Amino acid sequence: MASVEERVKEVTARVLKVDTSKIGRGDQFGADLGAESVQSVELVAMFEEEFGIEMNEDEALSVDTVGSAIDYISKVCQEQGVQV
Amino acid sequence: MTTTQTKSHPLVNTTEPNLIEDTFDYNLPPLIHFEDHPTVEYIDGKPIEFNFSDVKKRDIVITDTTFRDGQQARPPYEIDQMVKIYDMLARLGGPNGVIRQTEFFLYTKNDRETLDRCRALGHKYPECTGWIRAVKSDFRLVKEAGLKETGMLTSSSDYHIFQKLKFKSRQECMDSYCEVVAAAFEAGVRPRCHLEDLTRADIDGFVLPFVERLMEMSRDVPPELAVKIRLCDTMGFGLHYPNARLPRSIPKLIYKLNQEIGVPSDRLEWHGHNDFHRVHANSSTAWLYGCNAVNGTLFGFGERTGNPPLEGAIMEYIALKGDLCGIDTPVITELAEYMKSIGLPIPENYPFVGKHFNTTRAGIHAGGLRQDERIYNIFDTEKLLQRPPRVAITDKTGADGVALWVNDFFGLKGDDRISKIKVHKLARWVMDQYEVEKRLTAISDQELETKTRELMPTIWEKYKGKVGVGV
Repeated sequence: MASVEERVKEVTARVLKVDTSKIGRGDQFGADLGAESVQSVELVAMFEEEFGIEMNEDEALSVDTVGSAIDYISKVCQEQGVQV
Repeated sequence: MTTTQTKSHPLVNTTEPNLIEDTFDYNLPPLIHFEDHPTVEYIDGKPIEFNFSDVKKRDIVITDTTFRDGQQARPPYEIDQMVKIYDMLARLGGPNGVIRQTEFFLYTKNDRETLDRCRALGHKYPECTGWIRAVKSDFRLVKEAGLKETGMLTSSSDYHIFQKLKFKSRQECMDSYCEVVAAAFEAGVRPRCHLEDLTRADIDGFVLPFVERLMEMSRDVPPELAVKIRLCDTMGFGLHYPNARLPRSIPKLIYKLNQEIGVPSDRLEWHGHNDFHRVHANSSTAWLYGCNAVNGTLFGFGERTGNPPLEGAIMEYIALKGDLCGIDTPVITELAEYMKSIGLPIPENYPFVGKHFNTTRAGIHAGGLRQDERIYNIFDTEKLLQRPPRVAITDKTGADGVALWVNDFFGLKGDDRISKIKVHKLARWVMDQYEVEKRLTAISDQELETKTRELMPTIWEKYKGKVGVGV
């Protein structure tokens, strides 16, 4: 099974229409990857779908880098008993 | 020019918001509080003090002229329409008679039948009064209708006296008016003299001597017949701010009539026009400076640019009094719906009743509304007007606005409300309408409803029973 990092990058690439290989942990969704307002919401929705979790809207939308998304999703998966 | 001493204003740091709720009580229109010291206006070189806080104790009222001035600006209402509007005015003004009077034409059979049918409803308020020319023979109509009071045209500017009515002198004009006033007394009808074109009149040379004579005449009749004075700002020339000169200064006009001539406040009424966008501020000012009655029309509809909007006066009344005083504010929405159904155009951005008066379009505003509707709603519009705040969906709305629309559409409140994450497909469709389809118009409720059903089937199935609550 792919790692959380790989899955987060896959989803990010698909939603923001960027090449997976060009996505780094330090990239900001907005400034570096070009995520606009609605795309941020789509990203959160797609992460929920990909991992089968429910995220707190405000917390999820305040995550600004790929690395912090990986950490946050890992934490939520653990809290909600989702194996990754 | 004097030099102003600057003053330091250090930050008052706090972690708790100060929402200034003694003024912005969300359950009422924002309240109007005055400083403890009086307001000073220089009149004839002397400082005159006015205590605006007195307005809380005074019996200020609203009078209506929807059927007279309002009707002069449109094709005639049908009798049934006027009876329905009158009935709603009675409910709006409530048992305390905040809407105290309304006036009717008396010239045609339809005019008289309307009056009879309105009175047959049995409402104490608004009292029905008449409106006639300053012609003695017109009193027959008032008497036959059994009215206790009628307005009569007593034009006060030389534009009217000489240019329109063709009097040879002011004396001849005044004598003619007074003859009709005497006829009203004789008929047992209270005359309400409408000082037409007052804000363009020679106040010292004609208006004050005329009203002085009316006051003298009133001393010889029972108090219930004493002349009332309507101050008519016929062309909208009146000015509400201090230090303006007569004849345009509303504070000075009212002071002269009220304090120098001695017309009591309960016999003074302000009637404005909106030619210079001053109509509501002017009528509110009239209340503060001593007129007890403000005359208006529903939705400001009247001759040319219209009159003081009655519903605006209602909100001002509540704001000044700090209480609903028996006013049934949701009737304003009913009246607007009814007026629109019979062809009165109400602009979409018109305060309190326009389609978009509490609709926000910007996503950042929608985000604020979603967090706490007080951020972008003027008061509890759902409670006072049965109109919850709305968002209009455009390219500027964002996911926040779409979420707000969906929650309003399903009537969801509190923890039931759907997050913007759950509406992402609908938000994407909206954005694509503009970015991909190059759309240039707002998206209608009907389109959004169709798309909600298509893109959010689970949510649609769960909440469809609530559809329509918020829209």
